Amino acid sequence: MLEIEIDGAKVSADPGEMLIAVTDRAGIRVPRFCYHKHLSIAANCRMCLVDIEGSPKPKPACSTPIAEGMKIWTHNDKTKISQKAVMEFLLINHPLDCPICDQGGECELQDVAMDYGADISRFTEGKRIVEDKDIGALIQTDMTRCIHCTRCVRFGDEIAGVMEMGATGRGENLKIEPFLAYGIDSELSGNMIDICPVGALTSKPFRYELRSWQMQSVAGVSRHDLVGSNLLSQTYKGKVKRIVARENSDINETWIADRERFSYQGLSHENRLLMPQIKIEGKWQEVTWNVALDFALKGLNNAVLNNKQTDRLGALATNTATLEEFYLLQKILRGVGTQNIDYRLNIKDLDATINLPSNIKLTDLETLDYGLIIGANLRLEQPLINHRLRKAVLSGAMVDVVNVAEFDFNYQPNNHNIIAPNQIALLLAGVLKVVLESTQAEVLPDLQNLNPNATAKQLAARLLRADNAVIVLGEHLLNIPQVAIIAALITQIAQHTDSKTLNTSLSANSKAADLAGFTPGRDGLDANTMLTAQLKAYILLDIYPQYDFYNSPKAIEAFNNADTFIIALNSFKDEVVLEYADILLPIANFYESPGSHVNIEGLVQSFPAAVSAPGEAKPAWKVFKVLADLLQLPGFDYTANQQITSEATMHQNPKLSKVDVSKVDVSIDLTMKKGIDIIWQKSPYAIDVLLRHSPALQMTKIGQINTASMNAATAKKLKLTQTDDYLGVPVVLSETVADDCVFINANRQTWDRGQ
Amino acid sequence: MNEVCFKTIDQDNPHTLATYKKNGGYQIWREILAGKWTPEKIIDELKTSGLRGRGGAGFPTGLKWSFMPRNQAGQKFVVCNSDEGEPGTCKDRDILRFNPHAVIEGMAIGGFVMGATVGYNYIRGEFKEPFYRFEAALAQAYELGLLGKNIHGSGMSFDLYSHLGAGAYICGEETALLESIEGKKGQPRFKPPFPANVGLFGKPTTINNTESFASVPSILSHGGQWFADLGVKNSGGVKLFSVTGHVQKPANFEVPMGIPFKDLLKMAGGVRSGRTLKAVIPGGSSTPVLTAEVAMNMTMDYDSIEHAGSMLGAGSVIVMDDSTCMVKALTRLAHFYYDESCGQCTPCREGTGWLYRILKRIIDGNGKAADIDLLLSVQDKIIGNTICALGDAAAMPVESFLRHFRDEFDHYIKHGKSIIEVKNSGENIK
Ligand SMILES: Cc1cc2nc3c(=O)[nH]c(=O)nc-3n(C[C@H](O)[C@H](O)[C@H](O)COP(=O)(O)O)c2cc1C
Ligand code: SF4
Ligand code: FES
Repeated sequence: MLEIEIDGAKVSADPGEMLIAVTDRAGIRVPRFCYHKHLSIAANCRMCLVDIEGSPKPKPACSTPIAEGMKIWTHNDKTKISQKAVMEFLLINHPLDCPICDQGGECELQDVAMDYGADISRFTEGKRIVEDKDIGALIQTDMTRCIHCTRCVRFGDEIAGVMEMGATGRGENLKIEPFLAYGIDSELSGNMIDICPVGALTSKPFRYELRSWQMQSVAGVSRHDLVGSNLLSQTYKGKVKRIVARENSDINETWIADRERFSYQGLSHENRLLMPQIKIEGKWQEVTWNVALDFALKGLNNAVLNNKQTDRLGALATNTATLEEFYLLQKILRGVGTQNIDYRLNIKDLDATINLPSNIKLTDLETLDYGLIIGANLRLEQPLINHRLRKAVLSGAMVDVVNVAEFDFNYQPNNHNIIAPNQIALLLAGVLKVVLESTQAEVLPDLQNLNPNATAKQLAARLLRADNAVIVLGEHLLNIPQVAIIAALITQIAQHTDSKTLNTSLSANSKAADLAGFTPGRDGLDANTMLTAQLKAYILLDIYPQYDFYNSPKAIEAFNNADTFIIALNSFKDEVVLEYADILLPIANFYESPGSHVNIEGLVQSFPAAVSAPGEAKPAWKVFKVLADLLQLPGFDYTANQQITSEATMHQNPKLSKVDVSKVDVSIDLTMKKGIDIIWQKSPYAIDVLLRHSPALQMTKIGQINTASMNAATAKKLKLTQTDDYLGVPVVLSETVADDCVFINANRQTWDRGQ
Repeated sequence: MNEVCFKTIDQDNPHTLATYKKNGGYQIWREILAGKWTPEKIIDELKTSGLRGRGGAGFPTGLKWSFMPRNQAGQKFVVCNSDEGEPGTCKDRDILRFNPHAVIEGMAIGGFVMGATVGYNYIRGEFKEPFYRFEAALAQAYELGLLGKNIHGSGMSFDLYSHLGAGAYICGEETALLESIEGKKGQPRFKPPFPANVGLFGKPTTINNTESFASVPSILSHGGQWFADLGVKNSGGVKLFSVTGHVQKPANFEVPMGIPFKDLLKMAGGVRSGRTLKAVIPGGSSTPVLTAEVAMNMTMDYDSIEHAGSMLGAGSVIVMDDSTCMVKALTRLAHFYYDESCGQCTPCREGTGWLYRILKRIIDGNGKAADIDLLLSVQDKIIGNTICALGDAAAMPVESFLRHFRDEFDHYIKHGKSIIEVKNSGENIK
């Protein structure tokens, strides 16, 4: 600890700290444009000049390391004169278009100009004009306003990992522009809007909508992935108008993914479901909530309650529901006496699922020295988890990949091991064998005859050598036959190498579903068995079967059964739902309802509603509460969402027992069957209904991903060429896909997966 | 004259290895390889010699070399700055053309002192001939086994590479130069950290000017005191002065420090016939201009020039006779800095253009009385507020031109034309 003096007051600081970090901590305002605490220092704007005793000229606070006994004056005349000088330079070529600039009111330049600017410009020459480029659907550029702070350039280079913006030219002709003509594609690009201090980079969907001071900001948490990014929804007259990042150093620092930032657009899509409707003799009628709920009650009574067939009632929910919604819906089902409850719609074999804990904190990912990623494209699937891993790599960690296809990384993994899906278990068995042998542990009988290959030996050696390792299991292998074994092998490997594990196989708010007990109990049916059990009634929470199920045709067929009474709660209108539902209840989507997200660490983050749902739509938790009252179920006397939150987090789900690693059974069939595996993934901006209705995201390169990739050998086996479609998705031939594998990333509905 | 860097210049084939060796070249390097020198001894000799950095800032070379954490493990670098972009300077070009081996030997010695096994010579993009001369000399040195790995079985290694720039003045600034070698856009880094700690590719690095390196072998073979005695107090040794402008015989002269300016002028043949001396920029375009009277009474060394109100800089003496319109001259300089600013930091990016535009307006006949104060104010806001010294270099001439030749500016603004009636058409140039 050193002691320095700022404006006459003693302040202590760590050696090596930059002055600005110390003044920030002490709450002393030093104006700045280029400095950003999560970016490298550029020291180019020169706005932060402060007077340091003994130095003839003021020095930049952002790039002056402190020294014992330093005396700094942040507001004396010398400081002010310099800062005013810089301000004048910044303003001479800055347009005076504040009245039509979207940044107005939240512009760092405008704010500082109020303090340090002059009223009349002494610069009488013509101002610089910079031509704008269209850099994509998300970010609007007005580069004449750019003050060349290079925050956006450094963001790309240092955080997004792709230097999409660059500084070209020199002197006055220095231009901040994308290096490549195609513009900006990164999954984190929208953060450049947040960090641009002026109106050069603003939100395109938000353009000319409103002034920042007209909006209210409500804290929110995203449910698109397992991170639970903190954000602010900015609202005006009951509508979400913009989303910006909210800082939380443990979760998302100051960043959010584009998915988080722009999905709000879907909230005002014309397809929103606005009125309760009931189907009478095949015709839809809009009705009041009372009529609708009455109809629901009667329907349930007739179908399953009156005749005591409650075991023929089922509930299925989307994985983006809130903790409280999951909790209330399962409580209703259990209340009437059934455990047919599930949210895992996308899994082929629910008897052989992934049983793997996540036991590492997001912030601890940064200090890893080794990571093994299996079956994941983390950059697009869990952007901010990927960001933490990338930080680890930048500070020296090594990452290996075992995937079914090669993906674009924003850091350099050590080895891309591209392995046929049906060979991955074998590879990991090899890794486990080497690990067991090297740790002098007993080698399981099943592994005796196995000959680990070079890759297995290499991975094992690295895991053994590492002090802080993590093994990540992603979503790609969810539906291959060996997935349960793979999870068991990972558990064993992790145990014997002292590694942590991270399970991202089920995303969005699925951790909340687990916590709420939204899974079938011992006697309940799961999402697959329900579909074949000829149930008499369903309560479906925001489900769109043509997207959501592993076997969509089967689900649709089951729901369309004439004897089955279906209560569909949906936030969007949908043709398929209209066909099978008997009653349609309009519900809230993101930001329209209070609730909670449970992230990969198990952290419960609650958020209030920022706006109310459109039309007659209501938050689903309220609908469930009223339904429970109508059903005269005890224990639903909630008046506020938080009561449900605390009950849900206290509640012990009997099924959610800890995995006992010592007892994990690794019985492995070394003669694994050969055959082509199809890995079907919704593309990153098609994973939930809100995203699918967000026009700007859909226009991006990521939004357009819709490919069935396979190598030439696989294509030959399937008798396909580059011009064909496979399962409705255009075929792309690529030798970076493993043998015996079709990797599909689809942004369309799926009717048939051919399995 | 011509005792150090220009030692070989009057001989046949001055740039060849044979000539260099004949003049005692590579003697010191061979002694070092034979274990006859210690780094400390070399630093001591350099300190005694009074050699100050010839790139412009005049920082004592011995002291700079002693800052290098020479015993720190890992790669370290020596870098030679042959970017020579300062208007008025053309000495390094001739060192590379006529005595490239002195640069190589100086850098190799630097490598030994600083514990660096790799060096780079960054050569100005337009220097095609000097570049090939230097490359050829490098090849010869390698051929003779004076460079490379485990040289002459000494256990010492030194590899030297040349790197051609691409024509940006800013790449002469030492940290922009490092960025450029690294393959990045040439723009200065902020300091601290200084290159001695975090330099090329993040490793400790010492950067010196071509002339600084080329002086080292002679200093060591004759002794530091010998060099110091050639010059005057605080300005040891000899120095290359590039005398250009309105003189009869513009050229480079290697002369002892402390030589009277008027003698140097005489060596260059004096001002053009029929003209009188009006002003002198003594150290390159970034140094303040001096009036004839002041210049004629100064000697060419750090202290005297500073006392006169300017700086010795890189020793680039720009001579202006009475046909010079100082308003136009300053406008030309302002344009240079405006054009060469890297654009990275605000005061320089915005200020250099502003200065130029005000001056341009004046010479276009549209000046306003308030423009003088505006010029002074703008330059004052640039000085000291930028990442590198280009900002200062752009600003300083403005202040000195206005201080000494204010009446010319006033006249130009008032009458919309220059006070200098003589047409600068070339008819007066002999
Ligand atoms: C804008 C600018 C341009 C410069 N150009 C050169 C140059 O062309 N050659 C040079 O040797 N030094 C140049 N310098 C000075 C270098 O930054 C550095 O001080 C010098 O190379 C150190 O070597 P020395 O100690 O031997 O003088 C320049 C400095 C600035 C600020
Ligand atoms: S666009 Fe914005 S963030 Fe990027 S350099 Fe310009 S002002 Fe800075
Ligand atoms: S914030 Fe310090 S120079 Fe920009």
